[in-house]
Formats: sequence, structure tokens, C-alpha cells
Amino acid sequence: MRRSGKTSIQQVLFDGLSPRETLYLETTTQSTRHLFDTVIPLEIWDYPGDVTLETLDAPLAQFSTVIFVIDIQDLYQQPIQKLVDFVITAYNEHPNLNLEVFVHKADVLTDEYKIENFRHIQARVLSDLSYAGAEYETIPINFQLTSIYDHSLHDAFSRVLHKLIDSLPYLEDLLNVFCTNSQANKAFLFDISSRLYVATDASPVDPPVHNLCSDYLQTLNAFGPLYKSISASPPRMRTVPVDSSDSPPPSAPASPEPHPPSTAASNSNSRLASPLASPTAAPLSAHQSPQVTHQPLPSASLPRPPHASHSTTSSTAHPSDPNAQGNGNGHAPAGGSKPLFYPCAAASLAPTAAGTGTTLTYHLITPKLALVALIPTGVFQARRGLVEYNVVFFREGVQEICEVESDARKVAA
Amino acid sequence: MSWPVQVLLMGASGSGKTSMRSLIFSNNPASLTSRLGATIDVEQNHVRFLGDLILNLWDCGGQDAFMDSYLSIQQSTIFQHVGVMIYVFEVETRNMEKDLNYYKECLSALQRYSPNAAVFLLVHKMDLARGPKAETLARKTKELKEASEGTEVTVFGTSIYDESLYNAWSRIVHILIPNASVLSRHLAKLAALCSATEVVLFERTTFLVIATSTPPPPPPTASNVPSGPSSARTNGDLSATSHSDHELEVDSDPHKMAPTRYERTSELIKAFKYSCARVREEFNALEMELPEFTAVLDELTRNTYVLIVVHDPTIETAALRMNIRLARPKFEELQGDSLLT
Repeated sequence: MRRSGKTSIQQVLFDGLSPRETLYLETTTQSTRHLFDTVIPLEIWDYPGDVTLETLDAPLAQFSTVIFVIDIQDLYQQPIQKLVDFVITAYNEHPNLNLEVFVHKADVLTDEYKIENFRHIQARVLSDLSYAGAEYETIPINFQLTSIYDHSLHDAFSRVLHKLIDSLPYLEDLLNVFCTNSQANKAFLFDISSRLYVATDASPVDPPVHNLCSDYLQTLNAFGPLYKSISASPPRMRTVPVDSSDSPPPSAPASPEPHPPSTAASNSNSRLASPLASPTAAPLSAHQSPQVTHQPLPSASLPRPPHASHSTTSSTAHPSDPNAQGNGNGHAPAGGSKPLFYPCAAASLAPTAAGTGTTLTYHLITPKLALVALIPTGVFQARRGLVEYNVVFFREGVQEICEVESDARKVAA
Repeated sequence: MSWPVQVLLMGASGSGKTSMRSLIFSNNPASLTSRLGATIDVEQNHVRFLGDLILNLWDCGGQDAFMDSYLSIQQSTIFQHVGVMIYVFEVETRNMEKDLNYYKECLSALQRYSPNAAVFLLVHKMDLARGPKAETLARKTKELKEASEGTEVTVFGTSIYDESLYNAWSRIVHILIPNASVLSRHLAKLAALCSATEVVLFERTTFLVIATSTPPPPPPTASNVPSGPSSARTNGDLSATSHSDHELEVDSDPHKMAPTRYERTSELIKAFKYSCARVREEFNALEMELPEFTAVLDELTRNTYVLIVVHDPTIETAALRMNIRLARPKFEELQGDSLLT
């Protein structure tokens, strides 16, 4: 419908527009296309309000999801009727289309009215559908309550995104393993620029916690440009071209590639090939360091060439190889340069009456994704090195998944 | 400056005085200020700043009836023993003449009863300004300085929706702190020991900047004030122009970090503290290793937080935290000293 807030949603999520400035957006007159690349590339088509199925200039089969935005105060017949018609036609044409309805502008009403209207709209749509025909009743439509002024929009869109990512089970598995082994209460894999979460571990998503993590990410993003120094900053992000001496390790990551599930199921097994190479890799990477003039320390606690003491304490962390992987980042994919410095941050929250405090940790995984986790402060202080050790494995897992995805896409394209 | 310091917050009705107070001292986010009603007569607040220093904040209702009474019956009560007067103007006001008249009368009352008070003028609600902000602010500054007829005033352009309010209040509070230069010196020493680019001291509740290790950048060449003033007053011209996005042409600053970074930090941390409070947790400390810099924000004394910014990539955050821990006793001592002066 017109003026229901579609373009504001798109601008706030993907173009970083501040919610207050959406007042100044003009009405969309034509369908506009927006490209957005997270774990998977997304193409978002923003349609003007008075479009009907006939005027869509692309067959419905091309779309994987349709998001219908309804203003929460629009209780009149027309938008709901339109939605129902749309759903019926869409279903007939393309039964596998994901249908989502965002009941938008939820910040306008107080809580009781919000929920009442939401249920009302939901009930109306479903009853209209069942009027139209029995089979339409069972079409899965997802209703979400959203508002651009708080994080509900991000939450809702994240869930939509989850259905589109094929490798989601693997990412979730990685997160679960990470959480169990680091005693984290919750972990999210966020896309940095849009603050949508791509995956989370198995525990239920609590909106306050999600909001906190989202705000944390926002704060960190905003901090970057503040203290950026023209003279001192660039050397920190120096990337290191892959050395020829690195050739034994790259072959190891290549082998688990055709089996992404194994990467997730047990990081240990997939790494078995590489630890054999790691004793050789470790001294090699140690040699690599003096060659680079500005070598920033990797954010992982710098694993020295195998330490006996380190290996015994790692038994609590990860049932994997006892050898500290010397500069795990040195396992660069063949023929690519890889940054050795991954940003990380930790914000500690004071202990409350409920127990020990929690620390919010942030680790960059790929240039677009970051891991935000909640770890009890005691664990983080005492075992920080191990947590970062786990992050290294997690990072490699995710990076492999992303590489596989992008390779697959290149082949398909 | 005798403690407790009396701070007068005056201005036309609806200009934003109570919202400012709510944002800075009561830690409410900007969005909640829409719920505040008109202030009736004077609201007195004892604000504890830096733990032991007390600011007596008089938020005076701006409606005409109250203004008239301040200027006639209550004149001696209100204007006596004032340390700082902050007068708030709205950038797009309907009746500038009336505002200026009231301002001049308040100013003369102030001169009569508290001739040593510092005067700050805030051009508020800059987010609603029509036209380019820098020009509007420059124009207003000129107008207000003329109206002040020789009294030295400092003018700031502010808005509760961005960091400019923190900038203005940090400068205002800065002149109230007795040993700011001593603190600055010690912070510079701490910076040198940590190989840090910068060390900033914030107050715990309001997160206003108390002192920094680097001196404020010299004002732009437009005005001929000599470089490196430490007193906030002579920075009047600087503050008027620093709100535009002009990069200060400073050769002495090799890093050229964003000039609004202090107030942006205040704003960001306060916003984050508020989000933590919503989950009923309390923010404690923050450390980050980002591609551009490494920083540690931690408690230094009971009432202050310190932010250490390091650009050297080999320095670990744990080292910075240890240094902070070791520096604590010295700073506690310095703060205790400030009471005696």
C-alpha cells in the first residue's frame, strides 16, 4: 500500500538512514532495485504502493520472498483485501514463494493496542483466505510486528533472511559448538553494516538481549571513524601476501571443502589434516613475521609454536588438536592475501544481583560479518586466550562456508 | 569559584532548558524529553559532579509571568552568588526582540549582584535551523554578542539530538573544575607512559569531558587568538566555528582525528549505557581493538572514567588496563586535593 513504510524500511536497514530522517523520504513512483551483499547477495525490489500483480515487470517465480508491509493502523477493508488477493494469485503461480507480512509502524500504539491490532489483522487475513478456498488456509504466511524506531525491524528482517540462506544449519552448528565450548550464554553472527543477524545459536532469542547486542554493534561501528588517525592507522591493516612457504597448509583446507557439514559437526576432524602440517607451519609463520615491517598482532592471543602448557589447558576448551595452531590465519587460501589483524572488542557489564557480570564480546569474522557473544565475565577474564582460540576456529569455519558459497555462485553465474 | 557553585539556567519558555538537564544530568535519552512539561517557577537541583563538587542548578521556568517575577521581586534571591549563568535561545524563535530584551535585563541584574559570574549563551535546537548551520550560528553569535554590550560571553550552538550539547556543557563545566590543568598534565604523563595518542578523563554519571592529555587545538586562522589557550572562555570563537565540519588546519596535530570526537564519545557511551540499563545491566568497562586504533575505557576513580587511545599496534589492552590500575591511587589523590583549593 502507499505510505506504509516500505522505502523507509529499506533505507534504514541497508542504507544506514537514521530513522528520524525517513520523514523526508518521497513517495516511490517506480519499482527500484537495491543490491545488498551479506552472506548471500540480496536484490531487493522496492515497489510503489499501488502496484498489482499484473504490473510487476518480472514473473513471480523469480522472487524468493515477498514482503507485504501493512500499516498497523490500517484496519480498513482495502489493504487486507489486497493482501489476500495477492496471496491467492501468488500461491497459484508460485507455491513455494515465502510470504511475509510486516505489520509496520508499531511504535505508534501502546502495547495493548499493538497486540490487539496485530491479532486482528492476522485473523482477518486468515479468515479471508479461508473464505476464498480451503486450500488457501494452509499457506504459510509469517506475520511480524515491526517499527523502524526500535530493533523489531532488524529482528523481523533477520528471520526473513534466515529462510534464504542455504548454509544456515552449518552456521548455526558452528555457533552452537562455539557457545558450548566457551560457556557463552548467547552468540549472534551479525552483518555489520545492516545489523541483521545471520545466525544464532540454539537458545531462544530474547528481544532485550538482541537489542543490547545490536546497540553494542552500533556503538562499535560509530567509534571507528572517531579516532581514526591519518598518519598512524593505515599500517595496522596491512595485509600480508601469501608466501610460497605457505603451500603445505593451503592444501589442507581444500579437502574439507566438499563436505561443509563436517566442518560444522566437528571442527576437530576437519582440522586433523592441518595440524599435521601445523608443526611445519608454525615455524614457517614465525619466519614470516620478520619479513613484514608492520606486523600487527592477530587479535587471537598470539599462539606461539606449540606450548605444552597451552595444550593441557585447552582440554576444557575444545576437543581438538592439542597443538596451538601457529598463526591460524596463515592458512590463507591459495592465491589470495589475507589480513592478519582482526578487530575485536569486549564490553564488560557490572555484576548484578543475579550472578556474575556478563561480557559482550565482538570479533570480526569476515569483512562483513561479526560474532557477538555474551560470556560470563569470570570466564572471559580467566580464560580469554581459550575463548579467542575458539574464535579462530569459528572464524575459519565461517570463512570456508562463505568461500564455498561464493565459489558456487561464480560457477552458477 | 566557591563551592557549591550556583548555576542559573534561564531562557524563554520551551527553549529546551529542562530537556538539556534531563539529558545530561539525569541520563535520559533524547527521545524521552518530549514527555517533559513546562517548568513551574524555579526547579532547584543539587547535582553531584565528580563526587564531591556540587552544582546547584536553578532551572528557571521561562514563561513571561515567571520571567517578570525573577526580574522584579525575586531579583536578589536569584541573581546573588551565581557562579555561571547559562542563557538558552532557540535558533528559530518567533520573537527575537522579546528574547533579547529579557536577556539584557537578566544580564544587567546579574552584573549587579554577581559581577564575577561567567556567562554562556546556547543557541539551542540547531537541528531545526533552516539554512546552513554554520552561517546561522555565526549570525546569531554576532547578534548575541552585540546585545551583551561588552560583557564577555561564550556562545555555543547545540541540539539534544547530536553531540554538540555535550561539547557545550563540557566546556561550561571545565571552568568549574579547580585543578583542570594539573589533571591535564598528569594525563599527558599517563599518555606518554602508555605510548598512547590520547587520554581523556570523563565524569562518571554525565560523561562530560573533564580533562584531556592533549591541549585543545588552536582556533582557526579566522580569529587572531594565539594558539593553545587553556581557558574555555577564549575558545568562544573556536566553538562557534567548530560545529561546522571544517577540518582545523593544524600542523601540530599529525593525527588529524575528528575534532568532535570527545563529545561524540560522550554521546555514544551514554547511549550504550542507556541500552544496558534497559536490560537491567550496568555498563562497566569497554575495550576495543579496531582497525583504526586500540582503546580502553575503564573506571579510574570513584567518579571518573578514563579513555586511552593508542595507535601503536603492538600494545595489548591488558597492558593499558594494568597501567590504569597503577595510576588509580595518584588520581584519587589528585581529586582529593581539588577540594582543598
